[in-house]
Amino acid sequence: MHTLQDPQFGDKMVTLMAAMVLVLQIAMVAQRWIVTNIRLFAAQSFLLAAIAGTIAYFNHAPHIYAAAVATLLAKGILVPLVLERLVARIEIRQEIEPILNMPLSIVISGGLTLVGYVLAEPFYRPEEAPGASTLGHNALAVAISLFLIGFFMMINRRKALTQVLALLCLENGLFLAAISLTYGMPLIVELGVLFDVLVAVMVLGILVYRIRESFESMDVSRMRRLRG
Amino acid sequence: MTLALLLAIPLAACAVSAVARGRAVLEAVNVTAFALTFLLALAVAAEVLRNGAISLWNGFLYADALSALVILLNASVALVCSVYAVGYLREDERTGALDGEEGSHGAAAKLRMYYSLTPLLVFSLLLVALANNLGVMWAAIELTTLASVFLVTFYGNVTSLEAAWKYAMIGGVGLSMALFGTVLTYYAGHKLPGSDGLAGLNWSNLVQQAGQLDKTSMRMAFILVLLGYGTKAGLAPMHTWKPDAYSEAPVPSAAILAAAMLNCAIYGLVRFYVLTSRCLGPEYPGNLLLLLGLFSMGIAVPFVLVQKNFRRMLAYSTIDQAGMMVTALGIGGKLAAFALMLHMTFHTVAKSLLFLSAGNVYQCFKTDLFQKIKGGVLRVLPLTGVAFCLGTMAVVGMPPFSLFQSEFLMIRAAFGTAHFLVGALFILFGLGVFTGVTLHVSGMLLGPSEEPRGSWQPWRHSPIAVLGVVLIVIGFWLPAPLLELVRRAAAVVSG
Repeated sequence: MHTLQDPQFGDKMVTLMAAMVLVLQIAMVAQRWIVTNIRLFAAQSFLLAAIAGTIAYFNHAPHIYAAAVATLLAKGILVPLVLERLVARIEIRQEIEPILNMPLSIVISGGLTLVGYVLAEPFYRPEEAPGASTLGHNALAVAISLFLIGFFMMINRRKALTQVLALLCLENGLFLAAISLTYGMPLIVELGVLFDVLVAVMVLGILVYRIRESFESMDVSRMRRLRG
Repeated sequence: MTLALLLAIPLAACAVSAVARGRAVLEAVNVTAFALTFLLALAVAAEVLRNGAISLWNGFLYADALSALVILLNASVALVCSVYAVGYLREDERTGALDGEEGSHGAAAKLRMYYSLTPLLVFSLLLVALANNLGVMWAAIELTTLASVFLVTFYGNVTSLEAAWKYAMIGGVGLSMALFGTVLTYYAGHKLPGSDGLAGLNWSNLVQQAGQLDKTSMRMAFILVLLGYGTKAGLAPMHTWKPDAYSEAPVPSAAILAAAMLNCAIYGLVRFYVLTSRCLGPEYPGNLLLLLGLFSMGIAVPFVLVQKNFRRMLAYSTIDQAGMMVTALGIGGKLAAFALMLHMTFHTVAKSLLFLSAGNVYQCFKTDLFQKIKGGVLRVLPLTGVAFCLGTMAVVGMPPFSLFQSEFLMIRAAFGTAHFLVGALFILFGLGVFTGVTLHVSGMLLGPSEEPRGSWQPWRHSPIAVLGVVLIVIGFWLPAPLLELVRRAAAVVSG
């Protein structure tokens, strides 16, 4: 059989790219600079689009190509551009200043990856015939890990903009879960989700901008007026 | 056809208001649109009562009795609030509360923002109840958050920004969990016949094959959806955005959030509960719901008792009510489902009445702190005071008001199904909230006051008068078609 039609080859490709996505995520946890973080996020989104494209190719599911292209345009190009312009405009200190220090954060991310694999365990069914339908079972574990690490990043960061980035990573995890589990949800749902993500980024961007203006800082931990 | 029109009208109102100039046009467009929406909601309810579930566009839109009830409730809240908003925002404009740094130009922009985002919010609230596809329903619930973020920052001060940030971030995280749950639900059913493409997430499709859904994925999916839509419903411990958002948003928007958006979140939970309980049996989802529901009721008690601000107190009361509804869902069975639907109906009326009256008090006394008002609301604002009093008594579950009946049914259902601890805690927490709310509100309403007596303002007082009358009437007599709708909605839940 030709390599490019062998589902096992596809499976390996997807697993490889999913692993790279995870590495990028942990790199984001370890990275100090906001701009680099945004670029890592862009790279992660590119990889996700590539995974979607691979799955579409080996499953002969043309509608996933649409999802892949939409992801590439929205999350790979548009959102990072918007965020970078926002960073330039609000002239913030470029460092992320996490609450926990870097080595500890990486250890925690490693632990969360382990949890991801444990949670994904019941979904792995080796007794089912290998083939197109079992493509990328590793990807689910990676997706759950991305989701959990996204959570951790959100709690671990003080600045409004970096929390937005964490939310986006969390959503990347979701996207990976959606395409690896079910080869894409129905297209209209996917488009709805993507549209929501785009609007959410705009809304959050405007909020970040106003927070910067009103509080003279983006430090969310200074917002302490509303209590009880 | 009515279903499509129901969605098209608010959307058109949003588009028109976004480009329209002049306050009068904006007000007219909004009130007309919501009046039409309300009539259409009545038509949908009538059609569902006559012919059973209706659907449109190959089952893309689907309305059974449960959707019809939620649509009817939400459309009526929208209508009442749109009438009230006219008076409320005119008053705001007069006192200069809307002028930011840009002067009166800022006020015009804010008015346009309010009158175009509110129809968008209502559109998404209706779409939640009409969408058959669980993914589309998720997107609609996310849209409710996005449409209302800028309503929370409406006054543009530092505290409202803080509230909006919390609202958007907590809501965003919650909804991403709900989306994960939705994806897993799709996975649970993707091997079943007829589940290719769009139909694979159609609720009407899934519920017929609920027994064959993959159990492992449904188990995980329900937890994620419960946390996700529970965040939207303001269940503890994900409730922290609620008091902030409700106290910072303009009052008519807060009323829509507290009454209508809560209904939508509960609606989403109910849809998934039905799927999960038919797949795994009622025990598993029921226990999770009971846990979160009772925790929310419990956490509301201390916060209500020490509360200084009446709009925040109303928010905690809403958390308590959301907890009650989720508890009722968790108890399971026919009686509890009926009590839940009844409670949803009554709560919608009582809570919107309370928020609108609170808005009048706030604008008259220019504060929302109990400490500064000291007392005398009944003397200064007789109608509002009476309405506030009625709403409070209803919400805390005092007989003979309507919510007493539904809460009583819930407790009966709890003891009837041998949930003794649940029933006991329900009564205990109910008493705690009762004490807190009555204590604060009676202090605020009674007593003398130096403020001059307020005048009758039709835009702001007529919605309150109507809601007050409705609240009293439904306490004693529920119109037969509405009762039938509630009954059938409960049948959707309990099967």
